[in-house]
Amino acid sequence: MIKKEINPKSNKLVEEVKKDYRASQDLGIKRCMQCGLCTSNCPAARHSNYDPREIVKMVLDDNWELLDNPDLWNCFYCYTCQSNCPVNNSPCQVNQVLRQKNLHKAEYKIKMKEFSAYGDSYLDFGVGSMPKAFFDGMVKDYGKSYVDLKVNLEDIRHELGLEDYNIKGKALEDVRNILKESGFKSRLKKFKNAKES
Amino acid sequence: MNTESKNLENLSSDLENNYNSLGKKSKSGERVGVFICRCGGNISDTIDIERLKSSLDANFVEDYENLCSLNCRRHIREEIMEQNLDRVVIAACSPLTHLKTFQNYADPLNPSMVEMVNLREQCSWVHDDPEKATQKAIGLTQAGVEKVKSAQALKKIISRTEKSAAIFGGGISGITAALSLANQGVKVTIIEKNPAIGGNMVKIGKVFSPEKLAEECSLCILNPIINDVVNHKNINIMTKTNLRRAGRRSTYFNLVLEKETSYIHEDRCIACGNCVDVCPVEVPDEWNQGMTMRKAIYKPFAQAVPDVYTIDTENCKKCGKCVKVCKMDAIDLKLKNEVVPLKAGSVIIATGHEHFDLSTRPEYGYERFDDVISQMDLARLLGVNGPTLGKLQKISDGKQPQRVVMVQCTGSRDEKSGGKRYCSKVCCMVALKHASIIREKFPDTEVVICYTDLRTPGMYENYLRYVQDKGLKLVRGRPGEVTKKGDHLLVRVEDTLQRQPLEMETDMVVLSEAIEPSEGTMKLARRFNVGLSQDMFIKEKHAKIKPVNTDVERIFVCGTAQGPKDISESVSQASAAAAKVSEQIKCGTEAEPPVAIIRTSLCKHCGKCKEICGFKAIYRDEEYMSIDPMACKGCGACAGVCPEGAIEIIGLNDQELYAQMEGLLRDKEDGEIRILAFLDNVGYTAADTIGNNRVSYPEAIRIIRIPSINRIMPEHLMFAYEHGADGILMAEYPDECMLEAHKAKMKELSESVAAQGIPADRLRFYKAYAPHYRGLAQQFEDFYMDILEGDDLKKF
Ligand code: SF4
Ligand code: SF4
Ligand code: SF4
Ligand code: SF4
Repeated sequence: MIKKEINPKSNKLVEEVKKDYRASQDLGIKRCMQCGLCTSNCPAARHSNYDPREIVKMVLDDNWELLDNPDLWNCFYCYTCQSNCPVNNSPCQVNQVLRQKNLHKAEYKIKMKEFSAYGDSYLDFGVGSMPKAFFDGMVKDYGKSYVDLKVNLEDIRHELGLEDYNIKGKALEDVRNILKESGFKSRLKKFKNAKES
Repeated sequence: MNTESKNLENLSSDLENNYNSLGKKSKSGERVGVFICRCGGNISDTIDIERLKSSLDANFVEDYENLCSLNCRRHIREEIMEQNLDRVVIAACSPLTHLKTFQNYADPLNPSMVEMVNLREQCSWVHDDPEKATQKAIGLTQAGVEKVKSAQALKKIISRTEKSAAIFGGGISGITAALSLANQGVKVTIIEKNPAIGGNMVKIGKVFSPEKLAEECSLCILNPIINDVVNHKNINIMTKTNLRRAGRRSTYFNLVLEKETSYIHEDRCIACGNCVDVCPVEVPDEWNQGMTMRKAIYKPFAQAVPDVYTIDTENCKKCGKCVKVCKMDAIDLKLKNEVVPLKAGSVIIATGHEHFDLSTRPEYGYERFDDVISQMDLARLLGVNGPTLGKLQKISDGKQPQRVVMVQCTGSRDEKSGGKRYCSKVCCMVALKHASIIREKFPDTEVVICYTDLRTPGMYENYLRYVQDKGLKLVRGRPGEVTKKGDHLLVRVEDTLQRQPLEMETDMVVLSEAIEPSEGTMKLARRFNVGLSQDMFIKEKHAKIKPVNTDVERIFVCGTAQGPKDISESVSQASAAAAKVSEQIKCGTEAEPPVAIIRTSLCKHCGKCKEICGFKAIYRDEEYMSIDPMACKGCGACAGVCPEGAIEIIGLNDQELYAQMEGLLRDKEDGEIRILAFLDNVGYTAADTIGNNRVSYPEAIRIIRIPSINRIMPEHLMFAYEHGADGILMAEYPDECMLEAHKAKMKELSESVAAQGIPADRLRFYKAYAPHYRGLAQQFEDFYMDILEGDDLKKF
């Protein structure tokens, strides 16, 4: 049985989520009707114990134990829930805010290890893109066409009249400098070096 | 008919004449009488009545114990005759509650010749010091005398609505309203865009009856009503007809309708159907949701009314084959659309709804999979006059489905693009109705309803139980996707009560499509300048107290044109709309002053007044700008913006206003403070309540009742300051439709008095609330204290 004591400040977690700069201004989290549409289409829910609807419910219930729920780390930010939710909520964004809250703790730093390759892509190309480390896996999933796309991406873009995807030259230098000056690079390094405690 | 109403009938429709003042006597010759009420001590215990009487300057002054008693009615009448009084001041209680009574007691006098001074609520009940209260009572009463001297006698303003109505939409709502009005002798025209009347109700086959725990045949219920409509001498039905233009007049609408041709002389067609077989054109039949085909010449459905064939001119190839076989010579392919003028006293919008476009939710596969259908499709499938003659069959292979999954809230309660944020209100019941029919007739088919919330309020809950008893499966969750796996469809949903994603195999998926506002309704609204809600349905004037009025006088709404609702609710609303039309016709309606009038000779047709009037009282007819006295609230906003000074507010003219202000500021002593409080009806009510509760406030406060601060011009305020007002408070609860005008007015007034050197805090605005009378009392108190303690007293 859940016991609910009188607690006039029971909106703390949801307010913190809403205030967070990662959350869209009009994030509909308070309007969630627990319809489960997000979960019905969520690949993480299909393959693990993750349940985006329940995550949202726990936030609304001001259940801070949620922050230490290991399921939280099964979402991989496909944004399907965000594009489906009938009240413009985004369990995906909510998840991002929640994870961030724990990143200062050693036991969670290690969780960031597998994502750190994304960070590298900013340093390498100046934009976020599929990290090199995932390349083999992608080829395995998508076949040779993935290699073709990767190799010829810039040519294809030129043909379509689009500019380069990757940032080059001075601009790339600038991005790298910003990432360095802002502490991104050193933070990334910390995550990479994190050890199982 | 009494002479008075005969007179009214003869009133010229020229508004200017209509409002001409009757008062021709010179002001000096007017004899004013003052009747003072002691109110059983309520007034006389605080106010020294003898001193009040002796201090007044009037032709006759007398006091009575209970002025509102029937006995005093006789006294007042007698004195008016004996003393030859032209005008009277009743110094008693609040005009909000008693003005009508005293206008009646003073009967031979025109009602505008009666002025009430609120000695009780605004003086004896709120001030304790008898000396000061008496002083103030003298001031208030003398101001009443001055004001009534400037009053102009007004003729009654009666606006008689023509005894006819145009009803747009021939569905259950339109038909119900039409029949009710026609039975009361009103000439009704039903204007329907389709070739037959009956609307959605004829299509759905069965209706749910929660009170009987049954499903009933909709056509069987509707047919007798339709027959009554067809045979009624007061009803004219125009099918395939649309509104082209709408002009507003003071007592009717001038409509221009276009009747699309059907290439058929309706009076000759005997509906033999010989023409159908020879027609070579085949198109999907909308009656069966496109699941069957029909010819270009067709009758929408067997029991269609009017009972004639029609040609779908868009698809007709004009081959002429039908013309040859028609023995009645009823078909003429050269017929053209007809333009028909119509004069209608009132308009009812009953244009119904449309269904959500399911192709905008491709994840549910409505267009990809044959066996994903809508509830309306299912209704046709289950209809004995439908494409399968009532058999439940899959479209793909004609076999009976083993499982049917219904997806609730498709397009409803959905803020994604194209979705509707509201609940469509009927689809839970529609799903249950279909589940009930399926479980009854095809017990081998399992029915699963995927719902977010099941909405079956009131008696409808009984119906839910009844269907549950038939063996209904419920899954609480909103599906995200419908796909195909092998021979089956697959519905992905979270069973939220199990906290498990669920993949459910099924043979058929039924989407409970949202109800949405129709294109036709929106067009009609634009033509009539009728306001729409945020969800694009016709907006009612007030959801609680004017649920079938629109924001335009004499235009009403009923049925799903106003928002999602079921048949029972639509019929109630239609009956209410008919009652409102009939009320307007029968009672004629008397406009209460103040109202605005336009001096047409001065008007330059700039339209500024029309723009500012949120009550939509002002309209442009063929030549003139006109004001509908029934819609006008007399707020005065239009008069404030008219560059030609062409608008006058009858019932509270400038002379009265100046006279009252002057009276209230007269005989001010050295060091005394006077604050004028201009209060609208809500503010005035709050002030009365202050009195009722004996909350006291400073004697400095002198109240003037106005329709709205929009009535007040900068020059009025300057007059007050120049005549000794130390402060002016304006309190109003602005009408929602006038919020902008209200804001602009506050700005205009503050800026112009500031430009004249009046310190900003000497003009205050306050939003009045009737129940929050203490707030107003506090405002009075604070304003007074601020002036008293400020060192710039009188030195601005
Ligand atoms: S889809 Fe949106 S409303 Fe539905 S449960 Fe998920 S977050 Fe809540
Ligand atoms: S009536 Fe039921 S199915 Fe329709 S929108 Fe409302 S909750 Fe959804
Ligand atoms: S604002 Fe005055 S001049 Fe302009 S249309 Fe209205 S009444 Fe006529
Ligand atoms: S603006 Fe006010 S006074 Fe003028 S017509 Fe409209 S309601 Fe009447």
